[in-house]
Amino acid sequence: MHSHRLILNALILFSTLALAGCSDRHEPEQRASDKIVELTYWPAPNPQEVQLADTLVREWNLLHPGIHVSMQPIPVSQSTEEVLLAAIAGKTTPDICSNIQPAALYEYSRAGGIIPFDTFPDFDSVARGRTPLDLLEPFRSPDGHYYQIPWKTNPVMMFYNVRMFEEVGIWRAPRTYSEFFAAAKKLTRDLNGDGQIDIWAGERDIRPIWWQRLFDFFPFYVGASTGKTLFKGGVPDFNDDAAVEVFRFFQECYQKNYFPHTYFQGGDPFLLEKKATHFAGPWEIATLRSLAPQVRFDVALLPVPDNHKGPVYTYGDYKNISIFGTSKHPREAWEFVKFLLQPRNDLMLLKITDQIPVRGDLLKNPLFAEYFKRNPKMVRFAEQALYTRSIDSGPDLKEILDAISQEYEACAVYGRITPSDAVTDAMKRTTMIVEWNK
Amino acid sequence: MKLFPTSERPRHSKNRTGYWFVLPYVIFFGTFVAYPLMFSFILLFHRWNIVTPMEWVGLKNFERLLRDPLFFKSIWNTIVFLFIHIPLQIVVALGFAVLLNSRLKFRGFFRAVYFMPVVVSGVVVTILWQQLYAYDSGLLNRLLVMMGIDRVPWLINPDVAMPSVALMATWKNVGIYIILFLVGLQNVPNELYESASLDGATAIRQFFRITLPMLNPTIVVVVVLSTIGGFSLFIEPYVLTGGGPMQSTLSAVLYIYNQAFYFGHMGYAATLGFVFALIILCVVLLQRKVIESESTS
Repeated sequence: MHSHRLILNALILFSTLALAGCSDRHEPEQRASDKIVELTYWPAPNPQEVQLADTLVREWNLLHPGIHVSMQPIPVSQSTEEVLLAAIAGKTTPDICSNIQPAALYEYSRAGGIIPFDTFPDFDSVARGRTPLDLLEPFRSPDGHYYQIPWKTNPVMMFYNVRMFEEVGIWRAPRTYSEFFAAAKKLTRDLNGDGQIDIWAGERDIRPIWWQRLFDFFPFYVGASTGKTLFKGGVPDFNDDAAVEVFRFFQECYQKNYFPHTYFQGGDPFLLEKKATHFAGPWEIATLRSLAPQVRFDVALLPVPDNHKGPVYTYGDYKNISIFGTSKHPREAWEFVKFLLQPRNDLMLLKITDQIPVRGDLLKNPLFAEYFKRNPKMVRFAEQALYTRSIDSGPDLKEILDAISQEYEACAVYGRITPSDAVTDAMKRTTMIVEWNK
Repeated sequence: MKLFPTSERPRHSKNRTGYWFVLPYVIFFGTFVAYPLMFSFILLFHRWNIVTPMEWVGLKNFERLLRDPLFFKSIWNTIVFLFIHIPLQIVVALGFAVLLNSRLKFRGFFRAVYFMPVVVSGVVVTILWQQLYAYDSGLLNRLLVMMGIDRVPWLINPDVAMPSVALMATWKNVGIYIILFLVGLQNVPNELYESASLDGATAIRQFFRITLPMLNPTIVVVVVLSTIGGFSLFIEPYVLTGGGPMQSTLSAVLYIYNQAFYFGHMGYAATLGFVFALIILCVVLLQRKVIESESTS
């Protein structure tokens, strides 16, 4: 009897414990899974940025068990913009994307897919704490909101072949158009006397491809106009002397045969040491290091008109961060964005991708000092980053840049129209496109 | 008197088997003709980039068209192409047809050879010609340099590019017109040439006084077909030049394509297509009138 009772008591105790154990084990887990917020983050699909995103997301997930971020590179397509527009239309956008091209933001917000950052109470302190107001302000939309936060930039500068310059007795990079032409006259040479030019002072793709203008006309215009862009208050605003000067500069480059009139086939002529100057962003350093280590190069500001005063601005190929309207957890997404913008993560951005974080303290903060000591040429880009402008955000930027490309081809490459006619025609077409979009 | 007794009258209203027979065509017509046409009509008054919702813009697309010099330039380019291509096509095709109609060794072989470009893919032909036309390394310029002649900027000079495109298009299409002219030539009665020979007419005189007048109907067919083909000029400039240099080879269809698929302006492209179709209609009506008046006279 006693043993029976003992067995019964043991059974009751066991079952109670087992049940209690079950409930103790499951309930908190269910609560925890209820509380875990899932976020999706799309970085750019290039290997360096995927590596950076992977590292950052792993660290975030370790530090924030309540907010789980899944990283997925932007699906590969003809362009990021197309993918994002399709995702907005299909309501399949991620929570966060860090490859927002500022020019395309107009289309995204027109499609109704972006959350304004300034609705978060600490946006001002975060954004201004990292980015100088002068660089932040151009990203404010006409409605007064910030739908994007500048993350990184690739200022377009002039790379030059030091050996070629030294060979013709030039020891300093040209700073003005006149200095550039003087150097170009010496640099453009027929080495073997066969009547064909072997070394060109410079070269641009002569095909009227819209995005090519982001590496010649636009950065030179930003430079010549001391920081102006193509639009002011949504209205085309480049019918000025600076634009005429830029067209005239490129026209002379082609007219005097400093730039070839043909499309270069068989590889990048700067890497092949067939041209002495090249306009590109910091990514070119890694390309030169890996594909043409024999090229002795340096980086300088883009040439500006002879009467230029003030700092030399250029185009900064910006990539920004946005939170999409489909996000069910915008606050948590904002927390993740703040994590991406932390100084040590900016250092990781520098180290892994060799791209410049849009920070005001890049050259003052000791955190970055070692990186710049090891990569002295990147200092030029960090200095230039403070004097960069993005392409304007507006409708049909692609067609507007195509219109400028057509004028560039007619005026600069073929010399069939005058620089002022080129600017007038480009303005007319741009105005027509803008009015059609109203 | 009744044609049919009441019991033998065909019962059209009840026998619906015929509808089943026409159904496949009705479905095809509805899907690939009627629906796209209606949709294009709707697009005329909208702005739409495929991915975002359509936006009603009223007559804005037409307003833009009237202010769009590039559209008029593309039509002018197409006309320039037609003016070079059609005469070239007629002369070359007629020349070869006369040669291939004469007693020639391996006549069948040559007829097949001249027809071959017609059956080869347009894109392949265009890529081949792109290699031939290349300024520095192209075969044509290498031959010219070997002969001591300067290189010709076939595709990179705005004044030369469209004639180059027309030359290539002629090479591609000439085979079909050779066949048409051969048919025409074989219908010319031999007696005409015999009596002309007896009268002492030279071969050249016979060609101009007998062959050409007798081939008039064929020439009209060639002109009409070349005009229709020329208006739809697309592959050649798209692959060869992309419409450049300086938009000198931008054809109307290429411009419509660019607006639709490069810039994502589906509504505006539909408007351009609609107006372009009206222009073609006018040209075809004009041609018809000319041909009818000629045949009457």
